[in-house]
Amino acid sequence: MSRKLVIDPVTRIEGHGKVTIQLDDDNNVTDAKLHVVEFRGFEKLIQGHPYWEAPMLLQRICGICFVSHHLCGAKALDDMVGVGLGKGIQMLPTPEKVRRLGHYAQQLQSHVTAYFYLIVPEMLFGMDAPPEQRNVLGLVEQDPALVKRVVALRKWGQELIKTVLGKRMHGISSIPGGVSKNITVEERDRFLNGEAGLLSIDEVIEYAQEGLNLFYHFHETHRQQVDSFAVVPALDMCLVNDEGNVDYYHGRIRVIDENKTIVREFDYHDYLDHFSEATEEWSYMKFPFLKELGREKGSVRVGPLARMNITQSLSTPLAQAALEKFHAYTNGKSNNMTLHTNWARAIEIIHSAELIKALLNDPDLQQDQLLMTPGDNDWTGEGVGVVEAPRGTLLHHYRANKEGEITFANLIVSTTQNNTVINRTVRSVAQDYISGNAEITEGMMNAIEVGIRAYDPCLSCATHALGQMPLEVSLYDVGGKVVDKQRR
Amino acid sequence: MINSDVKLNGLSLADFNRADCLIYGIGNVGRQDDGLGWAFIDWLEAEEVCPEAETVRNYQLFLEDADLISNKTRVLFIDATKDPSVELFLLQPVSARLDFSFTSHAISIPSIMATCQLCFEVQPEVYVLAIRGYEWALQEGLTDSARSNLDQAIAHFSRQG
Repeated sequence: MSRKLVIDPVTRIEGHGKVTIQLDDDNNVTDAKLHVVEFRGFEKLIQGHPYWEAPMLLQRICGICFVSHHLCGAKALDDMVGVGLGKGIQMLPTPEKVRRLGHYAQQLQSHVTAYFYLIVPEMLFGMDAPPEQRNVLGLVEQDPALVKRVVALRKWGQELIKTVLGKRMHGISSIPGGVSKNITVEERDRFLNGEAGLLSIDEVIEYAQEGLNLFYHFHETHRQQVDSFAVVPALDMCLVNDEGNVDYYHGRIRVIDENKTIVREFDYHDYLDHFSEATEEWSYMKFPFLKELGREKGSVRVGPLARMNITQSLSTPLAQAALEKFHAYTNGKSNNMTLHTNWARAIEIIHSAELIKALLNDPDLQQDQLLMTPGDNDWTGEGVGVVEAPRGTLLHHYRANKEGEITFANLIVSTTQNNTVINRTVRSVAQDYISGNAEITEGMMNAIEVGIRAYDPCLSCATHALGQMPLEVSLYDVGGKVVDKQRR
Repeated sequence: MINSDVKLNGLSLADFNRADCLIYGIGNVGRQDDGLGWAFIDWLEAEEVCPEAETVRNYQLFLEDADLISNKTRVLFIDATKDPSVELFLLQPVSARLDFSFTSHAISIPSIMATCQLCFEVQPEVYVLAIRGYEWALQEGLTDSARSNLDQAIAHFSRQG
């Protein structure tokens, strides 16, 4: 008799997910799905609001990657008022650099949260350790000195976000055509040199390098586990600059295959020509795909692993050295090992810190030209913004009427882009860990959780949901009856 | 249960009126009675009660708050509670304990204190003022009942001087 397993909710993931696993008569996995069961609402909620509210309001989808939503919305509004990249107008240097500074600070802070708070405990305690130990509070008990450094790193990122965006959370500084403030010398020097209770940028880079070393050590001692866990092929996608290297704030969308051949490359303003979104009755999260390639072949992976697969080089020295090692490991082919996402994430922590250092030393941050003012006839009433958020490519698209009220909003967030590949990962883990078993064990639950968490998915963002969400795994027989169910 | 059920050795708000004290409101004013913590801070600031203390408003606690409290000798957290055993409000001391409650959305006060103790090797005195709330919908403004509880908590502390 075939059976179906259900895991619900997925812990330590932003949002509420449920996993169902279908078993056949011999307890072999025949299918596995991640169901996202949250209410979707922000695209509707924004309609009727003044256009300038969009970057302020829509960032409230998330308490983690709010800067990405804010900047993505701001880029869309640049287009809408007629001074954006949609018309090929480059932003003034100071506002672009201020926005980038906030963006890199967000990436640092978000990656540090995912990596040190959620993933490092898994590496140090093992995937099989009980959940109550396998988290950052377990780490507090085991290695308080490490946690003290991590707290200092996150605090530094938060302080920088507050300085650049005006608030610790849900900032207000990016406005149509630019930013509302620059960075003073005093503000800059706090972050360059540090002060009592605040790291210097060189200490941040040093701690980031220590984080990467933790991965190297774990990989050396658990190579087989890390390399064989959920090896999932996918197309990779991210924004690239003219040299074909990742650009977290602006660029063209590039999609590559396993051989790193460019499958598609296009201006993100044309995304509707290339992407379609499928829906399933069992999940609120949509399934975007490249139209010409179809639903299965045209699904993409975004985020740290995709970006490190696509980029040929990184512009900062320590990150570049780490990238060379990362590329050499797969002999120049795309890396499809899901747990190597954590390697890629650790590289990006270093890269963010180094990019921040370069910007802090850039005198353009203190210049006064902060805003491009559109002419009376420049209003276009439509805008598209895309950035590389910590979890991957993020898109906001708005239209407004002549009165400036939003009439249409479409958000494609990184977790949504990853929907198909996350489902493939769940299926791969289920086949490896669950096949042959008729009941759900702690080890199975952990493995599925680890697989999903590698993407650091934000299910709240992906469904634009309200509220909090917790992993439920259910086991179904062929008749649709739940024969086992575990909740965490 | 109200404050009088708890022995705090005569502690009053005046005991928090020092630069090395922190008064920390937890909540979300866009979620009805979840705004109680911030509303208490609003009152402190409007009436210039405890002007020397550092005041903070946040949606939730963060692990970094262990660093924040490590620089203080006394801390008061104010939060809304759904606990029906709290009739109006409740002030009580808190002890450090790693309760492994961490998610990226939430962490408990005892865990923050334990993190402070283990990582920073200091431990401030910590109290929590829990004020009973009733509704948590997406709406600004306290319910009348929660407002009344807040007023009673304020009156209680005002009487203490």
